[in-house]
Parts: sequence; structure tokens; C-alpha cells
Amino acid sequence: MKTDDAVSIALPTGVLMNDALGLLTRSGLFTLSAEELGRQLMVEGPDARAILVRPADVPAYVDHGAADLGIVGKDILWESPGSHYELVDLKFGGCRLVLAVPEASRLNGPDTWPPLLRIATKYPRTTAAWFDQRGQAVEVVRLHGSVELAPQVGLVDGIVDLTATGRTLRENGLRIASVLGSSTARLIANQASMKTRTAAVQSVVAKLREAAGLDR
Amino acid sequence: MRRWGYRHVITPLVESMEVLDLGLGVDQRRRLFKFTDPRGDVVAMVGERTVPVARLAAGKLRGVPLPMRLCYSGPVVSTDEGRFHHRRETYQVGAELIGASGPVADAEVIALAARCMEATGIRRYQIDVGHAEFFHGIMDAVRLPDDVKAAVRAALAARDFVALESLLEGTPLKSAEHELLLRFPALRGGPEILEAAGGLIRNKRSEAAVAELARVCELLVTQGIGDVIVLDLGAIRDFDYYTGVIFEGYGPDLGQPVAQGGRYDGLLAKFGRPAPATGFVIQLDLVSEVLASSHLPRIDAAIAWSGTGLNTALRLGSTLRLFGMRAIVDTEARGAADAKSWWGAVGAANLVYCRGSADVTWSTKGQRARNLPPEQVAARLAGGIA
Repeated sequence: MKTDDAVSIALPTGVLMNDALGLLTRSGLFTLSAEELGRQLMVEGPDARAILVRPADVPAYVDHGAADLGIVGKDILWESPGSHYELVDLKFGGCRLVLAVPEASRLNGPDTWPPLLRIATKYPRTTAAWFDQRGQAVEVVRLHGSVELAPQVGLVDGIVDLTATGRTLRENGLRIASVLGSSTARLIANQASMKTRTAAVQSVVAKLREAAGLDR
Repeated sequence: MRRWGYRHVITPLVESMEVLDLGLGVDQRRRLFKFTDPRGDVVAMVGERTVPVARLAAGKLRGVPLPMRLCYSGPVVSTDEGRFHHRRETYQVGAELIGASGPVADAEVIALAARCMEATGIRRYQIDVGHAEFFHGIMDAVRLPDDVKAAVRAALAARDFVALESLLEGTPLKSAEHELLLRFPALRGGPEILEAAGGLIRNKRSEAAVAELARVCELLVTQGIGDVIVLDLGAIRDFDYYTGVIFEGYGPDLGQPVAQGGRYDGLLAKFGRPAPATGFVIQLDLVSEVLASSHLPRIDAAIAWSGTGLNTALRLGSTLRLFGMRAIVDTEARGAADAKSWWGAVGAANLVYCRGSADVTWSTKGQRARNLPPEQVAARLAGGIA
């Protein structure tokens, strides 16, 4: 657990990393290359410290107070809601969470759904909640990768997955039947950091907000 | 809490669902471990003890005149692993002041919570004080359709300011209250923020809340804890449950509040004895986490002995404890060098080494060891630490 005054920011590996590093550089908090951070995982700047973690782990670091702030996709927050504050929509890393079915499937909108749908996904919580809201019984099969494969081999009726361009879906003979939600990168903050280190945290938030072109 | 006149009550770990249903919200009910008793009635392990205490105050203690001061301690459990700092069980100590309304009662409970946090040994702490009515007033005043209002509440409860911003952006009517909602997490600071907020609000409910907070703040300054109080008009809590002044206690370097409390004037009526009430709870496992992460000496004196020094050591231990110090008397005789390493292992601030009835060596970190008569060691130790 941290004890010093530097504000720590958890950054996600993967698709959001480069945009997140660009934002930090523009904000003047850090000048970091992906290689540098990839090598060290934790880098100290003059007013802040950056730590690099897996995207799905960002909320855990922030909720436990190991990081004051975090940059994370909204899709991750759907799956792991916690005690953090969601402060800013950073606008980058845009993608959609969609229900995709095989091209040949007769499934489309809600009126075409059978009494029980079988859906494979990496987002079981969001998927269950979305179908639940629509009064649709659903059997969620949780997979950890290559979700696109599941309907092709007859494991499920469709998948719920994230897509930016839809290309991977098309390549696997899938089409979008419904959109569950849109996701972009978000800036989140630990609840206690907001209260006990208000000035330091707010100043970093203001710099990031400005760098993201969202001055209000 | 005894010194403040709070009577200790014991409520059961297993409560009937019929009782808990009356006091808990849907989400809280969902998080309970439930099972059936031999008669087939559904019972549950309690997830908090304010509701059982309220039932006690309205039931068994019905004849006791109000205001009533009660305190309690015990384990609580939750099916949600993330609830109690990623454990399913925690130990809570709490107090409830039932039957008293107004700033004096609110300030009493906050001051008691502050003293309790102090008593746990946390050296640096902060108490955030806010008011549920400030939020209710704003929600009354903003001109929004009911469904949008509900969405605004949900976004705030989830601390999702991105969703909040997009909700409010989509509405044509802008007012000072809109701006206040968007700046919710930043509405905190010293007494000056009450003035700043007072200039922005245009509704009676929020105004009354700000005035009440100002009064509570004055009373806390009078009781000597003004310097740990931060006013937080943007405090986000369960607004359906809390009806007035709310507060949260934070220790250093812990990602969540150690203590939580506030006024809940609606609860007692559900058990048939309508009464205003306020109270708080401290999560003891979080406290021990704060203490473990700070490097404070937990033991004041390690008392080692050899030969005939045992009697002196035991007497010295009793004397030091009488002065409120934490002292450990060794269970076996040791040589001088061995005593030093034992001192290190115990992690005490002082080592007192008794060789005989009058031959005592006192060592403390960073100073030369000194030979002194035992009563002088006691006097110096007690004088230096008290």
C-alpha cells in the first residue's frame, strides 16, 4: 500500500495502452514509451507514478487503493463494478459490445429469440443482465478466448463480444444482431483517494481532462 | 463508549428474515446468507446490526424512555465477497443514538465515532461529514422527467459521472443544480464550502441542510475535533436510507472508509416505534489493516529478567499497565545479549532488564542504556509516554 504523495495511475496493457500513454505524454505528467513501461511495469514521474497491469485488473488496483487513478475500457467496468468513481470519458478506444450470430441464423431482434438462448461470451455478467432486462432466458457459456468459434461448431446460438470494426466477426461468418452497448476508455478513481488526497488527485484529473480535450 | 453513556446490547448473528425484510433494501437482502430453521422459517446471518438494534429498541426495550444510547459489537457476513474488503465476514463495532434529532445529537455521534477511531490506535484520520437532504433538495429542484431523475440517481449511486454528464447534457433546462450535480465529488473542504454552496442553491431543503451542517460543524469544533472534519456535500451514500447528516471516517492509505454513519429517521417507524435516530459503525478488520501498515510501536515496554529479577519485573509490569502502557514480561530468564534480541523480536519501544530487586537497566531506541532503581524507570516511562 502506498504511503508517499505521488499520485499513482494504473494503465492497461493491450489495445488501450498506446492511446493512454499518448494522453499521459500530452498532459505533461509523463513521457513514456510503450517499451519503457513494458520493461519496468512501474515508472516514477515527478508528480505521478504509472503502473502497467492487465486491463481486467485495473478496477481491482483502483478499488483496493493500490492505485489512485486508472484508465480502463467501459467494457471492463460493466463486468466488474466496484466502489470507484468513474470520472471522465476519455473518448478513445471506442468499440461496441454486440450480439453476433452466424450469417445463416434466423435470429435477429428480440421477437426472433427462442425461449432459451445459448450465448458464449467473455462478458457473462453484462450478457446475463442485458437479456434479463429484456425478459429473455439465457444460458451463458463463459469462454476466455476465440469466442467467434463457438457458434460455428454448434456450441451456442450466438456470442456477445466486443468489436471495433466488425471485421473479425465477418471473417468468422458472423453478423451483428443487436448492440448491447458502446464502450470507450474511462478514467476511474479510488473513493478514498478522492477524499483524503483531494488536491493531488484533482490536479492530475484536471491535467488528463485537458489533455483529452474535455475542458469543462 | 461506556464513558459516553452507551449501553452495550447483544443482538443475535442469526435473525428471522421477517425482521430483516422490514429494515433492509432489496440489494442488502440479496447479499444475506439465508437458510431455514427447523420450523421451516427463513432466517439469515446478519449483514449489519443497525436493523436488529432498531428492532430491539422498538421491541424488548420499548419501555425504556427515549433518547436511548445503545452500542454493540459482533461479526457480520455477506454473500458478496467484495463487500467487506474482499472477505465474507467482518467484525463491526457500532453505536446508535435513538430518539434524539437535531445537530447536537448528530455532533455527539460524530464526536463519539472520532474518539472511537482514535481509541483504536489510528494516529491520522479524517471524518467526512455531509447531508442527505442536500442531495434530496437538489433532486427536487432540478427540472427533469421522473425517468431521467431515476437514471441520475442510479448514475450517482454507481459514482458514474460519465453517465451523469451525458444524462444532464441531454436535457434542455440548465440550472445551478445541474452544475452542482456535475461537480458533486468536488463539493468538499472546510466551512467555506458551505458558503459557496449556499450561493448556488435555490431550494429550501438544501438550504436547511447547509445550515444544519454549519451548526454541526461548530459543535464539533467546540468538542475539539474540528481539525479532523472535512465537509463533503457530495457524499454519495444510500439516499433512500439516510435522512440527514451522514459521515465517513478514513484512515491513512486505505482505499475505503473505516467508519460509516448517519441519520436514519425512517427506520424505527417500520418496527412500530417511530423515532429519529443516528449512529455509526466501525469496521474493525479495516482498522487492523491500517494499524498493520503503519510502523508504530505497538508495545511500550518489553521487560526481561534474570536470576532474582523476576519479582521486580512482574511488579514493574503491573505498575506500567496501571499507567495505561502496554508491557510484556518475559516468560523465561535471559542473558543480557539474549534479552536484546528478544526486545527486537517483540518490537517494543523500551527494554527494561531486571537482574535483581534493585538492579535494573533501561534501554530505549537511540539512547544509551541506563541503570536506575525500578521506581525511577516506572516514573520515567510513564512520564515520557503519557
